[in-house]
Amino acid sequence: MSESSGVPGSEADDPTVVVDTVTKEYTIGNTVTALDNVSLSLSRGSYTAIMGPSGSGKSTLLNLVGGLDTPSAGRVTVDGHEVSAESEAERAAIRGTEIGFVFQTFNLMPRLTAVENVALPLVFDGWSREERRQRARDLLSDVGLGDRLDHVPSELSGGQRQRVAIARALAPDPALILADEPTGNVDTDTGANILDIFDELHEAGNTILVVTHERHVAERADRIVHVEDGHIRSIEELTEAVD
Amino acid sequence: MDSRESLRIAIRSIRAHKLRSALTVLGVVIGIASVITFATFGASVQAEIVGDIGDSSAGNIYIFGTPEGDEGFDRTFQPVFTESDVDRIRAIEGVDAVLPRGIIQVGSVRQGNQTLARQQVTATTPASITPDSIVSGRTFTSGEEEVVVNERMAEAFSENLTAGSTLTMVMPNGEEREVTVTGVVSGTRGELPISDFARQPRVYAPIDPFYNSVVESPSAGVRQRAYPQVTVVSDPRQIPATKAAIEGYLSTDSDARQLSAADTELVARSGSDFVDEISDVIERITRFVTGIGVISLVVGAIGIANVMLVSVTERTREIGIMKAVGARNRDVMGVFIIEAALLGTLGSLLGVPLGLVVGFGATRYADVGFSLAPSWMALAVIVGIVVGVVAGLYPAWRAARVDPIDALRHE
Repeated sequence: MSESSGVPGSEADDPTVVVDTVTKEYTIGNTVTALDNVSLSLSRGSYTAIMGPSGSGKSTLLNLVGGLDTPSAGRVTVDGHEVSAESEAERAAIRGTEIGFVFQTFNLMPRLTAVENVALPLVFDGWSREERRQRARDLLSDVGLGDRLDHVPSELSGGQRQRVAIARALAPDPALILADEPTGNVDTDTGANILDIFDELHEAGNTILVVTHERHVAERADRIVHVEDGHIRSIEELTEAVD
Repeated sequence: MDSRESLRIAIRSIRAHKLRSALTVLGVVIGIASVITFATFGASVQAEIVGDIGDSSAGNIYIFGTPEGDEGFDRTFQPVFTESDVDRIRAIEGVDAVLPRGIIQVGSVRQGNQTLARQQVTATTPASITPDSIVSGRTFTSGEEEVVVNERMAEAFSENLTAGSTLTMVMPNGEEREVTVTGVVSGTRGELPISDFARQPRVYAPIDPFYNSVVESPSAGVRQRAYPQVTVVSDPRQIPATKAAIEGYLSTDSDARQLSAADTELVARSGSDFVDEISDVIERITRFVTGIGVISLVVGAIGIANVMLVSVTERTREIGIMKAVGARNRDVMGVFIIEAALLGTLGSLLGVPLGLVVGFGATRYADVGFSLAPSWMALAVIVGIVVGVVAGLYPAWRAARVDPIDALRHE
């Protein structure tokens, strides 16, 4: 991993995520450069926030790190897997096992119960039904939904849905938790609760990347990466968040 | 991916849109049911007819004239088979008996004061009436004013005919002949198999003294009785050889050949030839009509494809979620194909019994015995599943190609 030593933020020897000189261009009529030669590293156990206005490229960065998209140039590595070089099926497998997504709109399967939603990533990873249901029940209890196991999303409040989504993200014990505006669709108090859960996950050693445009959300992290016009403008270290 | 999980997701999705799923399944049900109905009805009719023919006609060879090139059952009614022909056919090896058959035109038949108009009386030999076909009484005697009737005829009069009843036959020239009914029969040996279907009331009379169609025999040079049809009773094991010998005789130096028009073909057909021909015709009809059923099955398949395409669009976001949490393209395809296959399978599972019920009703209505067509049933279920899978392929492929980033943004 010596080649990534020049990447900002790669102080640890074995970073969970390495974004190495990544460029992403879209062609919609004319060519738009969403990310221009961006490099970033997330060390194991770190809590990073990406901030930027809409259109800054922060969502593109999240999609690339999450293996939902591939860069036009450069490399993305997650937990040793070079996501940018893998086949579509391999990337799907990496998404399922190494990455836990938490979305602004929860993105739960509407007709599956809380347990089934949490167990879904494990279905694609080939877990047996009993194993994955047990894991899902445990995780839902951890996020305080032990009494909502068999409810479908429409029977849950926004905060409860987001907690189901967090439990689902944790199900495969991923190397990285990716959150895209996780408090964007809940009220302030509920949002604070959600962020508390992220704090706990961070304390438990998880690597977290949050994309947000809200300063108070970003401030929960160790550092804030400011993205603008496809470039990283600055990296702000939040000392008070470091023990 | 665990296919039981795909199945579970498919069942949830089907149940979430009960009316839509029910209507889609109904399309397949109608398709499968019509295929099963037509196939079952065809098989029943075929079994009925083949059963009728197969009964007593083994060993029979039917000799008649037919328009050249005709593949069906058309026959000519000219009396061309002379007594000389009958004698010479009787001499052919393998021939046990020759039963000439003629038609006597009768204006009407009367019993007491009840008259049945325009009756045909079949003239034949006493040997045509086999003991096992006699329901009651005995056969007629040659040279006597005696007849036998079939059961339909016996019941045609308000006072049923029995052995010993008296009938008056009014000949076309107005002459009235009083005859004695000696017996009631279920049929006669040597009757062309196809005439069974009509199940008409029939009267059978001895050739002597009733049948008087005569022609001059070219070979004998004298006037002889001549018949439009002759049935040969032969050794069932030697039918092909006997048939060939008879046809050889017919096409060369028979009186019938000389008395027939040039475009009339003189043929000898065995009972199994008739069975084959009739089976062939029924099968062709069945296949054609079943084909119409298949069209409705295709319409059902289009229904599935349509609903699945709508479903893919509606569930774009779900597809994105599945992909984000690790579903590969083939996992997504699997979910949709299983759902489509499930709709098809449901359709055939409901369609097969419905088709059987309607088919059973049709056989009752047509008064034929009910026969199952098991291979068609198995085929219908397989076709239902295949229809579902094929109809689901394109929608599933569309689903698999959904870009997860767009899908997750999809409202």
